[in-house]
Amino acid sequence: MGHVLGLKCRECGREYEVAPIYVCEFCFGPLEVAYDYPKIKKVLTRKKIESRPMSLWRYKELLPIDGEPQVGLSSGYTPLVKAGKLARQLGMKELYIKDDTVVHPTLSFKDRVVAVALTKAKEFGFDTVACASTGNLAHSVAAHGARAGFNRFIFIPSTLEKSKIIASLVYNPNLIAVDGSYDDVNRLCSEIANKYNWAFVNINIRPFYAEGSKTQGYEIVEQLGWKAPDNVVVPCASGSLLTKIWKSLLELQKIGLLGDVRTKVFAAQAEGCGPIAEAIKNDTDVIRPVKPDTVAKSLAIGNPADGVYAYQAVKESGGGGEDVTDQEIIDAMKLLAETEGIFAETAGGVTLAAMIKLIEQGKINKDESTVICITGNGLKTQEALLGHLDEEHHIEPKFSAFEKVLKKIEKK
Amino acid sequence: MKKRVKLTFPQERIKEPVIFKMAKKYDIMPNIRRARVTEDFGEMILELEGTEANLEKGIKSLKAKGVEVELVEGDVLE
Repeated sequence: MGHVLGLKCRECGREYEVAPIYVCEFCFGPLEVAYDYPKIKKVLTRKKIESRPMSLWRYKELLPIDGEPQVGLSSGYTPLVKAGKLARQLGMKELYIKDDTVVHPTLSFKDRVVAVALTKAKEFGFDTVACASTGNLAHSVAAHGARAGFNRFIFIPSTLEKSKIIASLVYNPNLIAVDGSYDDVNRLCSEIANKYNWAFVNINIRPFYAEGSKTQGYEIVEQLGWKAPDNVVVPCASGSLLTKIWKSLLELQKIGLLGDVRTKVFAAQAEGCGPIAEAIKNDTDVIRPVKPDTVAKSLAIGNPADGVYAYQAVKESGGGGEDVTDQEIIDAMKLLAETEGIFAETAGGVTLAAMIKLIEQGKINKDESTVICITGNGLKTQEALLGHLDEEHHIEPKFSAFEKVLKKIEKK
Repeated sequence: MKKRVKLTFPQERIKEPVIFKMAKKYDIMPNIRRARVTEDFGEMILELEGTEANLEKGIKSLKAKGVEVELVEGDVLE
């Protein structure tokens, strides 16, 4: 049996029974899952968690399911890499990378949220799942949904890069390419979600889907030996991941698995789409929508659903926010790969670049422990680096040709 | 047909009855659920009910006056 009390409106506090709904009927505020924490406290221990398989489901009591996990049994529990080389280069004492470039099966943190969303969709009895996506979410719904036996409808803007289309099509979903602007796709998908009885993972299943992000926070704490870091830097698109990482720390504290939480949470965004970082910097909870224009496509959400809640989490924790240019993003992607051997997608570049800026500004203390959340694999968005890397050395198949180029390399 | 929308008013439009004018002109019934006004902007979350064509025209007229019109659920394209 699960430990969910019901759904609760984040704005007016009105309570609802568990159902595939996402907005409060009264104030149109977003609904969030409410848990029976005293009951969870009684049944969940560190020892119990540590005895379970290494997946996101080891924290199942803190996830919004009633029965046993059904989807994504191998998702989650990614490495927390101690980034010694990068830390030394930046003059930091203790830096860790939460490496979600290697989440199973589609190499982004979306595998976490979709595992939870589709398990819940099974419990609700849906036979069709859907999403609107420009990449990572599409791949995850297509893959998880294939294995779980769902009909799948995936909506994409028709201008999407071929490589991203192929990475969805291989799982044979119904891929609908919409001719129109991003706004048109948003509007159309909201209308479809309201009309068809499908599990639209980030619309009517959103309250459950979003909870999957908490597992990244639980894992960080467990992997640090049941300690929370001093700082955590999180990339923001809708703002949901940041709010859920903050929630995960507070929950662990509430159920006695973690001491007092003193973690400061920082938001990382691209300059070309930074409505949350801008609000944080201007110290206002007014999130002004923007038209995205950034190389960090997976963070390009101009009207972030959880922007105001991300702002609140940052303020509550005493953290901050920063935005970075496309060039800073590319440079940080290269730095991460060169120092720690991790090829992150552009969002990873955003996170690292923002952390570097926050350190320069003194907002993150170099002597404190810091975790940066890297949320997706760079192999999916290789085109972002075109023209930004050194060229390969072409040689004739002759030993002398190799020695000639070797001399050139040694001189560098 | 019903639509849930979030409207953000620039400072210079806060004092104008833009919702009333739009509702009257396009036969749209607005139902306000949440609103707040600060020093430099106004925000309103409401439901609009009317024919599909009129809703489209009404929303277009709001945008033409500089009012930002967004989906209540935020961008769903992730």
